Amino acid sequence: MFLGRTLVAGGAFALGGLGFAAASERGAAAAPSPEQDVRILNFLLRLEYAQQALYQEAVATDALRGELHEFAEVCGDQDAEHVDALRALVGDDAQAKPTFDFGDAVRSRGRFTAAALTLEETASAAYIGQAANLTKDRLPDVARIVAVEARHAAWIRAIAGRNPAPHAADPAKTVQQVMKTLARTGFVERG
Amino acid sequence: MSSEAELTDFLTLEEIDRDGALLEGIADVYGSSRADFLRGAAFASTAVLLGLGRPAVASASPKQDVGILQFDLVFEYLQSTFYLQAVRDRTVAGMKPEKQRWAHVLGAHELAHVAILRDVLGPKARKKPFFNFHGVTESESAFTRTAVAMEDLTVALLGGQAPHFSNPALTSAVFSLLTTEARHAAWARRLSGARPVAGAFDEPKTLNQVGRVVRSTRFIAARPRTGRRGNPNYTG
Repeated sequence: MFLGRTLVAGGAFALGGLGFAAASERGAAAAPSPEQDVRILNFLLRLEYAQQALYQEAVATDALRGELHEFAEVCGDQDAEHVDALRALVGDDAQAKPTFDFGDAVRSRGRFTAAALTLEETASAAYIGQAANLTKDRLPDVARIVAVEARHAAWIRAIAGRNPAPHAADPAKTVQQVMKTLARTGFVERG
Repeated sequence: MSSEAELTDFLTLEEIDRDGALLEGIADVYGSSRADFLRGAAFASTAVLLGLGRPAVASASPKQDVGILQFDLVFEYLQSTFYLQAVRDRTVAGMKPEKQRWAHVLGAHELAHVAILRDVLGPKARKKPFFNFHGVTESESAFTRTAVAMEDLTVALLGGQAPHFSNPALTSAVFSLLTTEARHAAWARRLSGARPVAGAFDEPKTLNQVGRVVRSTRFIAARPRTGRRGNPNYTG
């Protein structure tokens, strides 16, 4: 039984373009290694790029007002800092910024809110899902970021009139689940 | 030790709280009908973490992991007692509806965290200390201010400790608690008129740093007497 529930679902699977040996929700597919760190950090980087781009474009179109505008400005700047931090950790192997097309999500307040909520929740769950797969060298950096992602998620949920903290313990998501959610948004055009 | 409940995705608080210590406290504050409701409430996501608990991780983990978990447990005892005490003092009942909801949700979450950590630690789990909040839970402004500080401090505590477990499953579980506490902190800050997120990075604190802050509050009045439950003279 020890750790059974959390590890039995393990097993690596290749993930399309990322060539990613992914992990189960809470178990390591492979023992942590610097090479695996690079793949994980690039995966997380991709989510930070998406958030940062959404906020930056929404602020630029001037569609947002009041607290929603403040949210986009503040989180856009902070996610840009996360992008820089992750790029610095990965070094030369850092993945380039994809091209995004957010459509109405950067023009309509309702669609922006829904998009931000999806991306923030997805990012938070993605970080949790990789916690057990990173080396000890990288965990402190990632822990400093994941808490901020969760704050962003709580903030946008509060603005949307939803419970900011819906779980006593936040769920994790696998790489596969995260990539599926991201694909469903249709935001990533190329990269 | 093994039962069907371990295998389901939905454990109730009653199933988590095997010695009944938590629910006693809830019935005391909320009355038995609300306690019945909570008893049956499913803590779906905590069940995933509870899968870690049997046999208690503490018996198979290095001393350092156990030490961190014990420290976190004291902190969760402190938080859960704090919110329950504000309910008992009728401070929560006097707040506007969203703020009431916030206090109730946080209280329930912190109780669940206590249950999770006690379960993970098994028989080694520390008993609940006695708390004295020195009137802080009796005024809405002092209660809110302290809650904000406490939630931010918990984020710094868990963020600092999550990377140091030798058991990666514990790191993962504590990440789930860390993000929940970060949501609590963001929510608390927003309700108090502050920006929910301060900087781009949540800076960690060491156990020593957190211990110093907790001692400065004098909220922990005494260590619990062992071998005794019931109605000792303490808050919560």
